[in-house]
Amino acid sequence: MIKQSIISVVLLIIAIALPLVTGQNPYITGILISVLMMATLASAWNIVGGYAGQFSFGHAAYFGSGAYTTMIMISVFNSNPLLGMVLGIVVACLIALVTGSIVFRLRGHYFALASIAVAEIVRLTVLNLEFTGGAQGILLTDVTFFSLDLNSKNPFYYGMLLTLALTLAITAWFHKSKTGYYLQAIREDQDAAASLGINIAFYKNKSLLISAALTSIVGSIYAVYIRFIDTHAVLDLSLSIEIILTAIIGGVGTLWGPLLGAVLLVPLAEMLRSNILGDALFRLGVVSESSAIGMFLKDGLAHAHVLVYGIITVLCILYLPKGILGFFRRGK
Amino acid sequence: MIGHMLHINHVNKHFGGNVAVSDVCFSVEEKQIFGLIGPNGAGKTTLFNCITGYFPVTSGEIIFNGCIINKKRPDEVCRLGMARTWQRVKPLCNLSVLENVMVGAFASTNSPRKAEAMAREELEAVGLEKYGDKPAGSLPIGLKKKLELARVMATSPKMLLLDEICGGLNHTETETILEIIRKLRNRGVTIVFIEHDMKAVTSICDRIVVLNSGEKLAEGTPEEITSNPEVITAYLGGSHHA
Amino acid sequence: MAPSTYRGNLTMLFFQSLISGLLTGGVYALAGIGMSLVFGVMNVSNFAHGDLMMLGMYMAYFAFTLLHIDPYLSLVLIMPVAFMFGYFLEKVFINRVIHHPHQNQILLTIGLGLIMSNSTLLAFTSDPRILTTSYSSSSFNIFNDISVSIPLLLSFLITCGITAILYLFLARSRTGMALRATSQNREAAQLMGINVSRMSAIAFGLGTALAATAGALIAPTYYIHPLAGHSFLLKAFTICVLGGLGSVVGATVGGLIIGVVESMSSTYISTDWKDVVVFALFLAVLLFRPQGLFGKKGGQ
Repeated sequence: MIKQSIISVVLLIIAIALPLVTGQNPYITGILISVLMMATLASAWNIVGGYAGQFSFGHAAYFGSGAYTTMIMISVFNSNPLLGMVLGIVVACLIALVTGSIVFRLRGHYFALASIAVAEIVRLTVLNLEFTGGAQGILLTDVTFFSLDLNSKNPFYYGMLLTLALTLAITAWFHKSKTGYYLQAIREDQDAAASLGINIAFYKNKSLLISAALTSIVGSIYAVYIRFIDTHAVLDLSLSIEIILTAIIGGVGTLWGPLLGAVLLVPLAEMLRSNILGDALFRLGVVSESSAIGMFLKDGLAHAHVLVYGIITVLCILYLPKGILGFFRRGK
Repeated sequence: MIGHMLHINHVNKHFGGNVAVSDVCFSVEEKQIFGLIGPNGAGKTTLFNCITGYFPVTSGEIIFNGCIINKKRPDEVCRLGMARTWQRVKPLCNLSVLENVMVGAFASTNSPRKAEAMAREELEAVGLEKYGDKPAGSLPIGLKKKLELARVMATSPKMLLLDEICGGLNHTETETILEIIRKLRNRGVTIVFIEHDMKAVTSICDRIVVLNSGEKLAEGTPEEITSNPEVITAYLGGSHHA
Repeated sequence: MAPSTYRGNLTMLFFQSLISGLLTGGVYALAGIGMSLVFGVMNVSNFAHGDLMMLGMYMAYFAFTLLHIDPYLSLVLIMPVAFMFGYFLEKVFINRVIHHPHQNQILLTIGLGLIMSNSTLLAFTSDPRILTTSYSSSSFNIFNDISVSIPLLLSFLITCGITAILYLFLARSRTGMALRATSQNREAAQLMGINVSRMSAIAFGLGTALAATAGALIAPTYYIHPLAGHSFLLKAFTICVLGGLGSVVGATVGGLIIGVVESMSSTYISTDWKDVVVFALFLAVLLFRPQGLFGKKGGQ
């Protein structure tokens, strides 16, 4: 327990100090923000997916609720982003309540399937409506938030860090509280959980609401950070799947697993996306840039990060079904 | 009606066209150890599932401690003070033994510290105090049964429904479990007990109901039941040894 | 416009969308049956089903462009190849998680699906391809003015044939009965001497073959691209849940219903909203009749 607290304090200090080191390089800061963002999303998903064992495949809907509500509030009503964030949480919780009340009576495959259906309904609705910008999305030219310099990436870095710290703090509290025990009991065996006095639907909904609210906050910060959103970027099924994979690979149902997953996967995806491998091969003169292989490396591998995710997922499920952290914990 | 802890009033349970429980009535008095026996497929577990809210009854009433419970959910039934164990034990495998019992204890407290203290007490009562840190999934079957008992006792029940708690155990293990059950009764808990093993039932129960093909075949003291010719035919003709 | 012709037009519009809905629904049914079979026998939700359909589309496309085989004729080739591919997938991957929690099965099939769709993306780029046969856009009219697309009709007829053969296979053949027995109760089937692990591989092979067939059948009327599978995956799930997970008859009816619902909502609401209607129907089924139209109550 004490070891755990020391680790968290050290990590937090490093995280707070990191921009002082990398502050001059917006590219690196950008990657760090992506890591924090994915870590928060995966940790938030972990509350309902890892602890309660309810695999939501529709978390993009909650992310999108935050992003869209915030953007609409800023661009249409010129409101403070914070108000947009709060309303985003409300919208995300409403969607979560609808999903939960429909499917939490059912078991097994149904929750996974229904969460996709709800997320797709949200995505298509946003795509087909006028005031959400439809397929064009929403572009924000100017935004102010108190007196912060939003052209710098640092405010977003700290915003994401704060959200991650909040998410992990809630998760850590779950480890020691009645709610946390109850969620894990539900994950392990629903009948046994009910026979011990646990109101299953109530606790599942509670975990989904907390998870949705946190996910929505990340969506709000993301939207203001990027200043452009469309359904493809914030509501796509692939985002939901990426969140799950990050949590799975790190280790579901563990405090640090999702963070570890993000630390490993986001830079990997970035490396593939920015074609570091291809560039290295060109520079070393192994492959000529204009040859067929060179062209393939340039055009193809940039899209390959999803393929790599797929391969990692398959290997992970077959050989490390409890994720990296779960694997080491078992070894202890 | 005073003293009736549980009253089963003309309960029927049909699955489609199949009648699993047919017009069963009986009452359980406070602090009794009450046996529910019968051959395979007699409807014992189905009746348990109806009483504890897992199946809705087709018709009839179940009254527990003055409260009609046949429309209640399993968790509500538990919080009213009726806890059950499972024929096929259901440990929360990835949690430790202590944590399993703590989950039970949270039914009566919100404080993790109190829950832990209660859990340790119950573990000691069944003799599992040394296994607290082990993952529940790793215990052998005999200890898993004890864990089930500790876990339901941690919910501070007024009444316990035990579904073949001695099933799959050898003679010595059965004896220890029966000893624990007697101690529980001394703590004031009423116990309803499904069992296959006639010997175990007759040695411990105050009163017994025999079910056969969903119907009540006989009711009485262990002596009355063991000398009842109908019961003997049902048991010898039944397929429980197959 | 005289009121009578106006009413006549409305009636025609209705029958027009009913017929095209049924025709498309037949192909959806095929995809749904494949998924339902896998679910019934193996109790696995196959999230790679849509991607297997997509592979079927590409197979039909390349059989046509490279080998000059008519897409409907190429089924003779595609079905056995797809069956073997599915059999292989089950033996190498799915088989190893069959006793795992269903989340792991879902994730494994998602992973396999991502590998399939993104390898296709790398190999053939994301440019959509179109398979144009001489009859791709031909149609004929029945009852005055209701037009029936020839490729859709051909697909529908082939679907009916395959479904009929599948029913006969499941009802009459030894393997078919063993499959149904495994679907009813895996443990009991094993005790009866049925090789359940072989049944799983056969079921997955059949599921894959049916998915690829459905893909090949819609290839002449649809854009072929690496991510085409996604929308079909969700449709296949909707069909299965509507019909009752694991029920082959249910999936057939479910497919037809989804086809009609989709076509009716395109006609009367708008094309943009047709998928929303389908998913809303899916949620309504979960809410009011989670066991599906043909599923057993209390089965889960």
